[in-house]
Amino acid sequence: MSATAHHLLEIRRYYINFLLKLFAFGQKKVERKRVGKDQDDSETSFSEFDQPSLSFEQPRALGIDEDNKGFHMDHVLEYVTAGMASIMEDNVTKYFEPEELPMWNLLSRTNDRAYEFVSARLTVCWMVGFVVRYALLFPIRLIILTLGIPLFWLCMIIVGVFPNGQFKRWLNRKLVIFCFDFIAGSLSLVATFHNTENAPKRGIAVANHTSPIDSVVLATHNYYDMVGQKHSGLMGIFMRALSHASTHIWFERSDEKDRSSVVERLKERVNSPDLPPILIFPEGVCVNNTSVMQFKKGTFEIASVIHPIAIRFDARFGDAFWWQDKFHHYILHMMTSWAIVCNVWYLPPMTRYPEESAIAFANRVKAKIARQGGMIDLSWDGFLKAQPPKKEWLRQQQQEFARHLQVDNTEEEDQWSTKDKDE
Amino acid sequence: MGNKSSLMLQEQDIRDIQSETGFLPSQIERLYSRFTSLDKGDNGTLSREDFLRIPELAINPLGDRIVHAFFKESEDDHVNFRQFVRVLAHFRPIKRTQDNKLNAREEKLRFAFKMYDLDDDERISREELLAVLHMMVGENISDDQLNSIAERTILEADKDGDQMISFEEFCCALERTDVEQKMSIKFLK
Repeated sequence: MSATAHHLLEIRRYYINFLLKLFAFGQKKVERKRVGKDQDDSETSFSEFDQPSLSFEQPRALGIDEDNKGFHMDHVLEYVTAGMASIMEDNVTKYFEPEELPMWNLLSRTNDRAYEFVSARLTVCWMVGFVVRYALLFPIRLIILTLGIPLFWLCMIIVGVFPNGQFKRWLNRKLVIFCFDFIAGSLSLVATFHNTENAPKRGIAVANHTSPIDSVVLATHNYYDMVGQKHSGLMGIFMRALSHASTHIWFERSDEKDRSSVVERLKERVNSPDLPPILIFPEGVCVNNTSVMQFKKGTFEIASVIHPIAIRFDARFGDAFWWQDKFHHYILHMMTSWAIVCNVWYLPPMTRYPEESAIAFANRVKAKIARQGGMIDLSWDGFLKAQPPKKEWLRQQQQEFARHLQVDNTEEEDQWSTKDKDE
Repeated sequence: MGNKSSLMLQEQDIRDIQSETGFLPSQIERLYSRFTSLDKGDNGTLSREDFLRIPELAINPLGDRIVHAFFKESEDDHVNFRQFVRVLAHFRPIKRTQDNKLNAREEKLRFAFKMYDLDDDERISREELLAVLHMMVGENISDDQLNSIAERTILEADKDGDQMISFEEFCCALERTDVEQKMSIKFLK
């Protein structure tokens, strides 16, 4: 069983390498055309490193010149420019959109710039690719998926029959990993696991979150109980199946009571050494895999030992980031991509320092994961995807600006009042 | 980027925009991509909400005023792509070897002037100055102090004694300001 899987993995790797050569060919063609269009950027004296921008972590007044006291009408300039710069590109919403690729990967979905008209050969490549993906790969993957789901259910029911105990856990582990590996074939998943000696056997594991299949990827190699938002539809099917065999925690995010019960159940688990490791995604939302956003502190308050895991997808072959509205659109998108390629790093367990707060611990773990996966470490809260930023942050910016004015202002006032006296 | 259908910007549009604003074709394409991703309603125009959904803009004290600059040109509370690019063009760095139509020093200053001059009467009144000051400092400085700041600012800049600041007086007051540095953005390709 594992031998055939290994053999298949080899085939998948050859496939990946072939695709890379194809992309490089495409890129050469695109660049040749591009050079004609753009003229050279003529010189300016503008230094782009000094471009004004608002800092969220440490609010700082923009444009204040310490030598020039008091308010000047040019104080607004940098705030306006910072605003315009954020309209052109901002450091938050770009992480909620699919990753920008350095080269075109022959999929029309990443084709913003009419690449298919660049050269006849490229167009042919794209068309052939299209036919291969939709007429060959997609049906095969669909078959695997339709076989996989009932198989999965069957396995979970079988495990559910047995009484709780060591055998059940062993069986659960073996069958779940097998099933997930099977289903992973429906996405042509090529995952490379690094540092497997650090793979957790119990306790709490945290990872960065890009898509629902993060769990699938991790589960093809190691067994976890899961925590997550209740879903309906296809995902709900999986969730209910899983619950037959082991104690997963599914909750309703909008329900306050449900959320606090999650915390309780997690606390119970931390204290039971027999139970399998539980997998948590502390960002709370899917982000596009080029950055790691703020980790919610809940998990880090409960546990003092955490097993970090970093997942990085290679978006050239297929972007796993979930931005589509409907889950089945997302699955369709994934099953007609070239492949889903990713790297998983198991990091050594991290322990909270005696005086360290949960937030500081969370940030430390986040920084480690971000560095390992080559992602940017951001302090922005992933929930900004759906909610506007707190008014508090605007007030902080105002406060900083006022502070600088105030100090200068009182000095100025004294100056004016003495002047009045003289007159 | 990958979530909207094919490019709806024609070659001719790109050339027109290039000659009007000085942006390179690749910069225009990129701005178009940004425009469509901000356009959550997918109707080819941006509303005020679309702009303020950008967190870094929402926490900017002058956020509302900045957004307003885009809507000044449009009649129906929606900004199309041409208007979008035209406003952003003011923030292109000044190129020594090119004809800078929208981003010359005077144009940038005029844009800054309009940040204050809400009623578009070519003069910044004390009330208009106070309005901007209020946006910048929130509740952190008392009205009295803001009043005296506003008065002093007008006193210093007002040359013709009409208690308001005209565009010429504004430019004069900002004579020593490095407008290019403070009002330029690197536009990505």
